[in-house]
Amino acid sequence: MQRRFQDIELGDELPEYAPDISLSAVRSFAEAVGVGRVGRFTDHEQARREGLPGAIVPGIMSQGILAAMIHKWAPGCQIRKLDTVFRAPIVVDSQARCRGVITETEPDASSVDIDLTIVNEAGETRVLGTATVRI
Amino acid sequence: MIIDLHNHSTKSDDGRAKVSSYCRWIHKREIPIHGLVLTEHRQFDDESDYRELEDEHDLLILKGSEVETDYGHVLVFGVNEDLLNAFDFGAIDLKLADVVQAADRCGGIAVPCHPGRPTVGMVAHYEERGPIEGVRVIEVYNGGSRAGEDEASLALARELGYYGVGGSDAHLVSQIGLCATKFERDIRSMEELVMALKEGSFEAVSWR
Amino acid sequence: MALISIDRKWIGQEFDVAEFKVSEKGILAFARACGETEPRFTDPSHPDFQAPPTFTSKYVSRRILPEAFPDLGARGFDAGKTVEVLGPLRPNDTLTARSKIADIYEKTGRSGPMIFIVHRMEFFNQDGQPVSIVDWRLVRQPDPE
Repeated sequence: MQRRFQDIELGDELPEYAPDISLSAVRSFAEAVGVGRVGRFTDHEQARREGLPGAIVPGIMSQGILAAMIHKWAPGCQIRKLDTVFRAPIVVDSQARCRGVITETEPDASSVDIDLTIVNEAGETRVLGTATVRI
Repeated sequence: MIIDLHNHSTKSDDGRAKVSSYCRWIHKREIPIHGLVLTEHRQFDDESDYRELEDEHDLLILKGSEVETDYGHVLVFGVNEDLLNAFDFGAIDLKLADVVQAADRCGGIAVPCHPGRPTVGMVAHYEERGPIEGVRVIEVYNGGSRAGEDEASLALARELGYYGVGGSDAHLVSQIGLCATKFERDIRSMEELVMALKEGSFEAVSWR
Repeated sequence: MALISIDRKWIGQEFDVAEFKVSEKGILAFARACGETEPRFTDPSHPDFQAPPTFTSKYVSRRILPEAFPDLGARGFDAGKTVEVLGPLRPNDTLTARSKIADIYEKTGRSGPMIFIVHRMEFFNQDGQPVSIVDWRLVRQPDPE
């Protein structure tokens, strides 16, 4: 469904989104960006040997997942800027949730600002960011 | 009067919120705060003028700072020219004792923030090296705390008889108003805020 | 624990130029792995087929830091990326990326003292049009004592 700028209000929340961060999905991403052999992303055992709780989702995959969430909410929109802070690792095969909320609307540019977070099972924010999106 | 004492705008390296967006968000979400303090990291923002925004949104907007010391991060309220000359706000290895003394001498107050947080909070440093004289107020509710961190801050405040304040530590627009401080009296300026903090006539509140 | 003070002279100096070829296969693999479902990112027959907006985040230039940049050790992590989208990326585009240090600053966090180095890559397509700017915040930490 095409989303119209005039129907969006400050404070609107994007539908919460559960991304696929299974080991097979992360391996596919890692292959796609040329880090398929980096064990901390693709191998739980190797990641644990490096002191991590398990394999971790590459930061740029989290960023791409947030972009996909925005596209699902407003198909056809144009993301002008997406800024992500990789605050703490997200463990592969865990249950992460992506959230977004409209924090600014700019009628002259038909654009909105969105606060974005990815939280883990404990509700801790692991990745946060903002996006500027032309609707 | 309720004021959120700890927030960052785009003036901070990791802040992503415009102050005007904070104001609109507070009204839209009907967040029960009457003011906010911008405590930008390792600096004092003496350029921005928020008076128009204050009038437009009927909010008190004050400016402080968050500096970095050997005992963790510290909010500084009542920054003036004397205080700016007393130490380098941009340094990451300030001495907490110096910051506390300088703030007091120059008419301000230093408030260690997120004390329960590893490395950048004072609890662990106190356990290793003992307390610092002159600390009277600490942040006991912080909007970015993880499980157990605020509890450690509250325990420290109880143990040493410190007053406790609350602040959201917002870096995104939607994080403002998670924690704040409820004052018994009205506050209209930074001088009045510093006075109220020194009197201890307030309580920390959290909506997390 | 004191950090090495980094001379701010590094800020703004361009230190690398690299070229990247955008492929249809690369776009599809990236889009699908991120969970994109819009045909403009997942269907090469779509009239507006293009790479997802953060696609340029995956590119790393030949050098991460300038050649004579001080050695800060190997400890560190990726603190975040900002992508600014200036134009679409299509299959068979040839991108030229110019790298420079956009900022350097020190701070302390949960894991101790850190130096933040902002590595900026500016991407231009084969027509010389700017298409993307990526700011990569790299963190370096001193070795434990």
